[in-house]
Amino acid sequence: MKKFYKINLVLASAGLLTVGVAGSALAFHSGGVANCAGCHSMHSPAELGTYLLIGSDTSSTCLGCHENAGDTVPDSYHISTADADMVVGQGPLQRSPGGDFGWLKKDYSWEVDGVAYTEDGDRHGHNIVAIDLGYTEDATNATSPGGSFLAGDLQCNSCHDAHGKYRRLADGTVATSGAPIIGSGSYADSAVPAVGQAVGVYRLLAGNDYTTDSFATAGAFYTGVPAAVAPATYNQSEATNQVRVAYGAQTAGGVNRWGTWCASCHADMHSSYSYTHPVDWPLAEIADLYNAYVSSGIMTGIVDTAFLSLVPFAQNSGAFATLAANASNTDSALTGPGTGDEVMCLSCHRAHASGFSNMLRWNNDSEFMVENGFYTGVDGALAMGRTEAEFQAAYYDRPATDFAAFQRDLCNKCHAQD
Amino acid sequence: MANCNGKKYSSALVLNLMVILCCLSPVLGEGQFTESYLYSLSNFSGLLPYNWPTLAIDEERHEAFVIYQNDVVIFNDSGMEVYRFGDDMDLGHVLAADAGQGDDILLLTYKEGRSLLWRCNYRGEPLAEIALAGLPAQFSDFTPNRLIYRDGQIYLASQNQMQIVICAGDGTFIEGFDLFEVCGIDEEKRGNINFSGFSLDKEGNILFTIPTLFKANILSRNGMVRSFGKSGGAPGRFNIVAGMVADSHGNYLVADKLKCAIIVFDQDLKFIKEFGYRGPKPGNMIGPSDLAIDKKDRIYVSQGRGKGVSVFRLEYRDSAAHGDSLGKLSQIKGGMNRV
Ligand code: HEC
Ligand code: HEC
Ligand code: HEC
Ligand code: HEC
Ligand code: HEC
Ligand code: HEC
Repeated sequence: MKKFYKINLVLASAGLLTVGVAGSALAFHSGGVANCAGCHSMHSPAELGTYLLIGSDTSSTCLGCHENAGDTVPDSYHISTADADMVVGQGPLQRSPGGDFGWLKKDYSWEVDGVAYTEDGDRHGHNIVAIDLGYTEDATNATSPGGSFLAGDLQCNSCHDAHGKYRRLADGTVATSGAPIIGSGSYADSAVPAVGQAVGVYRLLAGNDYTTDSFATAGAFYTGVPAAVAPATYNQSEATNQVRVAYGAQTAGGVNRWGTWCASCHADMHSSYSYTHPVDWPLAEIADLYNAYVSSGIMTGIVDTAFLSLVPFAQNSGAFATLAANASNTDSALTGPGTGDEVMCLSCHRAHASGFSNMLRWNNDSEFMVENGFYTGVDGALAMGRTEAEFQAAYYDRPATDFAAFQRDLCNKCHAQD
Repeated sequence: MANCNGKKYSSALVLNLMVILCCLSPVLGEGQFTESYLYSLSNFSGLLPYNWPTLAIDEERHEAFVIYQNDVVIFNDSGMEVYRFGDDMDLGHVLAADAGQGDDILLLTYKEGRSLLWRCNYRGEPLAEIALAGLPAQFSDFTPNRLIYRDGQIYLASQNQMQIVICAGDGTFIEGFDLFEVCGIDEEKRGNINFSGFSLDKEGNILFTIPTLFKANILSRNGMVRSFGKSGGAPGRFNIVAGMVADSHGNYLVADKLKCAIIVFDQDLKFIKEFGYRGPKPGNMIGPSDLAIDKKDRIYVSQGRGKGVSVFRLEYRDSAAHGDSLGKLSQIKGGMNRV
């Protein structure tokens, strides 16, 4: 009798008792705005925080899910290694295309010929401000180099639309309305929206006229979402198989090129093809070099297997199907570029952070990237305060033996000056 | 007229109240508690400013294990560091630790793509590796990152793979759960869903949460799962849930990282209260994540922003005996029994 009473009470008062959790919503954002309660707490007293976000700042709120203490391996949408898992002499754990923000916490210092050098973790990427997680404003750059975006305002939602309003419609154009979002549009296996449907834009990135209250006047001027497609599994060690994000190039229908997108905050870093490196610029005859290049001094490669995820390029197309065909995490699509494909910011940089200064994809600070088969060089001459394991992590677990025993930097993948 | 109305109103109110009280009292009476902040885990130079360390409790010795970076740090009954080990070992990345049989410490590490389980002595010196044996094919890739030892059995969990394996003290497989199957979650979401928290209640049920589904779960050893929780910011609802433990009265305490509170349900899963909340006071919380509870119903709360681990005492209405004069006792006892 009493037992019955209690069970009934539970069912009636809370309505919470269920067996299994099936039938709940999709994973979380599913290409658009997620369950509001994942980011806003409508009724909890908050000392700080705006918009009922409760976290000290937006990035802390995002990282509440996107970082997980106790990770051992790269884990899908985790893009930051928790302090608890940061180990001296080891790199952070995540290997997503954007890169692990944990690199920002890796300060290095070393000595060469009696001269002391330091490399501040701040140099390794975009210093998002996430106070709860120990990420603080860049100590050197007050604004985005080449632009005026305030470093202190840099949050996840400076680049990503937290509400995921930008959507790719059935005709391939991007807008903030027009049809409901049925799921993520980032992946090779994402649904193709039928007429009357839409999917999210690549990585919920900010599109035309995007702004938030925190930077309404602070210097990010978006003119379109960049095109790309990632494989469904995109955060993995690349010791065996590479992760190929198929970046695209399109300049119409709410979509814009990658260089233009980054230039929303870095206007003067963008190429006028004068003082700066060409960006959003066709590879032309350089495509042949890219395809032939294997490693320093070895030019016997072929186009079918030429792709290197440490030096990606933008395909000269924004069409989802074209890009999706090249998005792979199994080395099933390693075709190199054609002459119309382009060099872009992400050919050299990552989007979040990397193991190297200037957020570069490879070590561009030494004459050699690998010396005598070691990233750290002969007797640690190239170590720059790092261990071999940290280098290997920064190269997404590739062993140094993947390169020439004396490998020069990867500008050569395109320029073959070595 | 006005008077009359007022009277009517108030008597109706009283009646209502009585009805509510009648309904609620049989359930509410038991296990209701008040919580008080005791201290934060510290050493002689002050509070340990850790961000989200992993926690474990040595129930016999009333000691707390804090696993952080490559260290296992042990705190005595009054929250002072007494011993640490791990950093100079060549066992890989230390993921989890718990008190094992007798004086042993069990250690879970990760090295070269594999999780390794070690039996160590009370100083943390490895005595032997415990190899998992007899894992069914379904668990052949099992790479645990969490560990609990209870009554001769080792409970291992991989929060990313959504799998739990229970084995004997020598590593022999006893039982395994794939939480996708157990909870009936769509296979398509594999990889995009992890669980958080990992603990046992008195009866040996396994407690965990699934943040992106806004659910807390009680898994019994027969494979039945009771799953509860609703998304939202109102009291009793879930924002981003994390650690989960059960106290000696059968209450379930669920940490919410976004709400910055601990949300408490009684054994019938009825919401009782919340406490904590973001703020500067010692009893406030910043992103409470992992939870652990000792036999004296002291709850350990792992937090961000360098707030380390705060310890709260739960005091129950119905039993003065529980947790009585704990503070004083442990102050005296707080010896260096491990060093
Ligand atoms: C992934 C996290 C996230 C989710 C999920 C989310 N929000 Fe937000 N929301 C934010 C952030 C971050 C801001 C602050 C934006 C700014 O700085 O301007 C915000 C601001 C707002 C604002 C005020 C500013 C504005 O943009 O109008 C409203 C209203 C709002 N959210 C409503 C919602 C509703 C309704 C939902 C659920 C359907 C929701 N949000 C889901 C992160 C989120
Ligand atoms: C409640 C947990 C949670 C919170 C809070 C959260 N995310 Fe996510 N996020 C996820 C999960 C789970 C996925 C993978 C599944 C999906 O895309 O729905 C994801 C995926 C993403 C993706 C890839 C989506 C795609 O379609 O390619 C981006 C970008 C992202 N999150 C950004 C953010 C930002 C920015 C915030 C904060 C404003 C945030 N997230 C807050 C859980 C969360
Ligand atoms: C400076 C702009 C910028 C900021 C700031 C930023 N992102 Fe991103 N993010 C990107 C871009 C661009 C990509 C796509 C990278 C690619 O495919 O190479 C991306 C990719 C992602 C992905 C997919 C996984 C990956 O690494 O490719 C997730 C998840 C994500 N971001 C979440 C976040 C969260 C959470 C934050 C804040 C902690 C954040 N981002 C801050 C620009 C940014
Ligand atoms: C919302 C504005 C914004 C966008 C969009 C943005 N950045 Fe930045 N970026 C900044 C700010 C602010 C800084 C300076 C603070 C810092 O270095 O952390 C910066 C710094 C950098 C740095 C210097 C890193 C270092 O520490 O040396 C590089 C390289 C960079 N950005 C590249 C990119 C690329 C590539 C993209 C496009 C994928 C991009 N940025 C998009 C705001 C932005
Ligand atoms: C061909 C490779 C390459 C491309 C393409 C490239 N960068 Fe760079 N970038 C570098 C290198 C190398 C550095 C290091 C500093 C230097 O050598 O100038 C750098 C430095 C930077 C810095 C730091 C400058 C500072 O003052 O600290 C920013 C910001 C930056 N790049 C943004 C961009 C943006 C935005 C784009 C695209 C519009 C882009 N880069 C395209 C290679 C490249
Ligand atoms: C993804 C391919 C790619 C990578 C990687 C690359 N470049 Fe280039 N680079 C190009 C292209 C394309 C041009 C334009 C060639 C042309 O049209 O004449 C170019 C032009 C140049 C030029 C001549 C600029 C001018 O104004 O004529 C220099 C110098 C140069 N690159 C240096 C570098 C350096 C240094 C790096 C490494 C930090 C680098 N490049 C990495 C593709 C690349």
